[in-house]
Amino acid sequence: MAVTDTPRFVRADGPDKVTGSGRYVADLTLTGMLTAKFRYAGVAHARITKIDVTAARAIPGVFAVLTADDVPDLRYSPVVPDRHLFAKDTVRFEGEVVAAVAAINAEVAQQAADAVVFEYDELPIVDDLEAAMTDESPLVHEDWEEYAVTGDTPRDRNVATFSSISKGDVDAGMAAADLVVKQRYVADGCHALPIEPRGVVAQWEGNKVTIWTSTQVPFDARNGVCETLEMPSNRVRIIVPHLGGGFGGKCGFHFEAHIAALAKAAKRPVKIVFSREEEFLAPDRRRESMIIDLETGLMNDGSIVARRGWVAVDNGAYTADSAFFPQLAAMHVAGPYKIPNVHIDSSLVYTNHQPSGSVRAPTAPQGCWACETHTDELASAVNMDPVAFRKMNAIDTGAEGVVGQIYDEIGLQDCIDAATKAAGYGQDLPDDEAIGVAIGWWPSFPGPSGAFVRLDADGAGQIVTGAQECGTGAVMTLRQLAADELGMDPEDFEIIYQDTAVAPYDTGATGSQTLLNNGRAVVAAAEQIAEQLKAHAAEQLEAAVGDIVLANGAAHVAGSPDKSVSINELAEIASGGEMLIGKGSPVPPDYPEIPGMNCVGDQGVAAWAAPQFSCHAVRVRLDRDTGVARVLGIACAHDSGTIINEVAAHGQVEGGVLMGIGQALTEGTVYGEDGRQKNPALLEYKLQTFADAPPITTTFIQTPTTEAGPRGAKGLAEAPNVPTAAAISNALAKILGQPVRQLPMTAERIWETSTAGGNQ
Amino acid sequence: MSSPSFSIAQSLDEALTAMAAGARPVAGGTDLVVGARQGKAPLPGSLIAIDRLDELAAITPATDGTRIGAMVTHATLMTNPIVVEQYSALADAAALVGSPSTRNVGTLGGNVMNGSPAMDTGAPLVVLGATAELQTSAATRQVALADLWTGPGQTSAADDELCVALNLAARPANSGSAYVRLEYRRAMEIAVVGAAASVVLAEGGAVETVSVALTAVAPTILSVDVAGVLVGEQIDEATLKTVAETAAEAATPISDLRATDRYRRHTVGVMARRAVEAAARRARGERIAIPVNRALGIGAAQ
Amino acid sequence: MTLETAPASINLTVNGVTYPVVADTSRNLLSVIRTEVGLTGTKEGCDDCECGACMVLLDGQPVNSCSYLAAQAEGKAITTIEGLGDGDALHPLQAKMLEAGGVQCGFCTPGMIMSAHALLERTPDPTEEEIRIGLSGNLCRCTGYAKILQAVGEAAVELR
Repeated sequence: MAVTDTPRFVRADGPDKVTGSGRYVADLTLTGMLTAKFRYAGVAHARITKIDVTAARAIPGVFAVLTADDVPDLRYSPVVPDRHLFAKDTVRFEGEVVAAVAAINAEVAQQAADAVVFEYDELPIVDDLEAAMTDESPLVHEDWEEYAVTGDTPRDRNVATFSSISKGDVDAGMAAADLVVKQRYVADGCHALPIEPRGVVAQWEGNKVTIWTSTQVPFDARNGVCETLEMPSNRVRIIVPHLGGGFGGKCGFHFEAHIAALAKAAKRPVKIVFSREEEFLAPDRRRESMIIDLETGLMNDGSIVARRGWVAVDNGAYTADSAFFPQLAAMHVAGPYKIPNVHIDSSLVYTNHQPSGSVRAPTAPQGCWACETHTDELASAVNMDPVAFRKMNAIDTGAEGVVGQIYDEIGLQDCIDAATKAAGYGQDLPDDEAIGVAIGWWPSFPGPSGAFVRLDADGAGQIVTGAQECGTGAVMTLRQLAADELGMDPEDFEIIYQDTAVAPYDTGATGSQTLLNNGRAVVAAAEQIAEQLKAHAAEQLEAAVGDIVLANGAAHVAGSPDKSVSINELAEIASGGEMLIGKGSPVPPDYPEIPGMNCVGDQGVAAWAAPQFSCHAVRVRLDRDTGVARVLGIACAHDSGTIINEVAAHGQVEGGVLMGIGQALTEGTVYGEDGRQKNPALLEYKLQTFADAPPITTTFIQTPTTEAGPRGAKGLAEAPNVPTAAAISNALAKILGQPVRQLPMTAERIWETSTAGGNQ
Repeated sequence: MSSPSFSIAQSLDEALTAMAAGARPVAGGTDLVVGARQGKAPLPGSLIAIDRLDELAAITPATDGTRIGAMVTHATLMTNPIVVEQYSALADAAALVGSPSTRNVGTLGGNVMNGSPAMDTGAPLVVLGATAELQTSAATRQVALADLWTGPGQTSAADDELCVALNLAARPANSGSAYVRLEYRRAMEIAVVGAAASVVLAEGGAVETVSVALTAVAPTILSVDVAGVLVGEQIDEATLKTVAETAAEAATPISDLRATDRYRRHTVGVMARRAVEAAARRARGERIAIPVNRALGIGAAQ
Repeated sequence: MTLETAPASINLTVNGVTYPVVADTSRNLLSVIRTEVGLTGTKEGCDDCECGACMVLLDGQPVNSCSYLAAQAEGKAITTIEGLGDGDALHPLQAKMLEAGGVQCGFCTPGMIMSAHALLERTPDPTEEEIRIGLSGNLCRCTGYAKILQAVGEAAVELR
């Protein structure tokens, strides 16, 4: 068992969580509270002919039954506003909400939901990505041309958005290549699957509503309520109690407005808590399935000279936050390589599946799996060791990437060295074992973010932040940043967070951005207090402000540690006048500019700020007779810039890796011919268990990074999820003699590949 | 049926009387309560809890074998010395059921009477020659398992009959048994396919008697006749290959989410072969830890 | 026919305190603990024995309370996460989970700790494999289990 020795860090929310005293949404009860249930479409594509709630409303104990007729008639969603709160005219996936009920208890609510008369004519199912892109395909959105789309967003029929990335002359590059390798890779969709099923509680007081919800993005949730219920932002308060995980599945605006509307109509607080099955079917945040065609031109010396790609990304029935997926997918199938000629066309395709949305590094594990499986095939084609092939072709500091970006100091090559060394790459192994290697990358997302820091008269600190803690420990780490600025102990600070009414804006627990952005905000706020403390200390110690140092809970004169005054005393002094209140909202670091970048449908995810790099080396054993694979161990190396909280950082890598193993081997949504999910339950949708988890070792390549987060930190939460499945794929390919070009690489698919033999 | 009720039986008589009046027995409740919540079958209107009947929770030597009470839990089966030593296949199977908590509350009687073709303890009981002891307030009868299971989730037991024990035949010298299954994870699994084998070896190592039964490849647990292939023969690469082929041919699997029929047919042959091999090794006196899946590395358990 | 209208008086002993509750006999133990007894540390993650968030101890043995009838628990000693620890002092399992970083979102944590408690009661000096199998009925999506493994190992040492 390999456990990295890291400094201990006890998180502020930890005691609540280990004693059971911490409250999650499901744990909340308000006097007079009603229970909500949704009536779902239950059919993947249909024209609504009748919705009648008369009988449902007549059931004793039912306080409200709402449909599209009861809320403002408007379409919402970022970039491509294509959906309504409640199904209107057409249902486009099985989990679409047709009606919502609030009743005295769960049984009556369910009875009323069942009593809603919902009649429809079935429409043809659109579920094949390639077929959906043809002119003959039925349309998922017949009114697609009417939608009020924003930005540079090319669209056509079932193609919700299109992007390309392009550099050089791919035709010429391909023509000049010594050899060309072309393959198709197909990835199924899968789920974020936080262990906490989401809940929402809404309560109105006058014209204001407070909503307790399990969201990763309180401000997004608030804005969604404001938009759909036509309310100003200061009358909608979102509070998140403890959040039981998200992994992107709880990003975006989901059901807060439905419950708020019910509570308003019922004139009572209303609560919904999802069952596991609802958690599988209804949220618009499934990880997208993808089809990836890759064609790569190589020289005999192993250098890559051209890559052409075609990508189709399953959007599902509505565009949640997925408009940028095609461009991001294109970046991942192109990969962190020095390829002079590149052209990738990438489309986001409507189907009658559950909508896709940002699940932990959207498009990246699938794109990386295709790219890196392909890379091993390329190395094989020129008889090169795949690691040496990567070292030769991967970008390094100062190199130009696939859209022309020149990278500042990066640690990708060091990641490859560290991970392969830790895994013992190159050692002799039994013939049913192999070590597979893959590299990955992921951008950081600078953005606006705010925080307050204050010290009260007794010297006790408060951090009031818009940031959201979803388990990663990123918000918990803010204490450390504030304490370090003020020469105090992290334990001196409490954190007030996850409440849109008290704290300034933050994007939320999304895009691995909490530490990157809110960390800068907290440091900026603490710096203001530091200045105040130093001024008071200078007066008290009769020294120059510039000579005051804050350390160990006191201010002292530089070079004279004995000449000091405690921060508690300074706080007491300050409390009688200008109080110690700092605010931070620094200007975000710039995104790099790429002169002459030649991308159609740019959604802002080709030029990467503070990019993160990784390499995973996975040792796999295969039971050849059955196709069942087991991951025996994995060595990870990550360049996420400066690591501020080592315990949390290791936890992010370990959790991301295990999710990646699940995606590689056992996790995949299975759709029936009726367009409905066949495995919305944990027995048939298989997460990795404690007994499956391999030892994981992690090396952090702490590359100094400017234009990043505090002290040069980049993001981290999503990056570990990127290359694991790809590395497993490459290990399996070594054992089998050929890759399994379907994801997940289930036992049966592995067995099929091995029995098909040489079907290259 | 009586009005909705729930009671905890303090004696077997009380339980049987309640069942005669229409109550359904509940032991661990894992199948019953989960099934009701998933909408498979509503909870019965009248329930009698039988999990506290100590007389049903004993493993006792009998003149011609061993009597295992229906309320013996999987957790007990996987560690009880008599079961582990003499009826290893049953211990192998019990150790693979669900999770530690389901093994704690789940019982042998519950598993058997659920009648699922995917039940892990079924194939071991068949190869170990078990009979089910069914009791009513009026009578007791022994039923061969082949007669008990009539289809997926169906048994021939009358509504008022309670399974009180499984009676297992005495084990001869030089015998061994094993159960293996295909699983995609190392825990929390349900059998995709599985196989149990019991082998008795003669002097010199040839097979004297052998029985094999398969999990999840037919409407009920499926016995496969491999005597013609193995009796009088040594267990070697050639005979094991024939075992695998025989099992695969005998199977009539379905395609579902967990596997296609084609893959099931192939892997059940692999499991049958591995079960026979492990049973023979045990018959030769080799100690293979419970469960074989994890001791020898079968599929994800390697 | 279901039991939906069959309220019964049930005496449940939770963490040493006996609660006389009235609940339908079809109710599972989890919902009665969370609502009638009022202890919400025990979580619901799946409702079919697949995630382990609802794990409690019944007479010291781990049980998925989502799939156990409340009425059937009468007379048994029920222990929930709130029953661990001594006053304000954390139980070593709780303390080590915090120190090692075995807690992230925390939703699986109570169930995980209850399973670990039962494991260490019967296996005070577990191997790594025994910990992995012993806790295999508790799904965690955050940690990759690595820090939980470390925490349980360290708690075992402290408890011995």
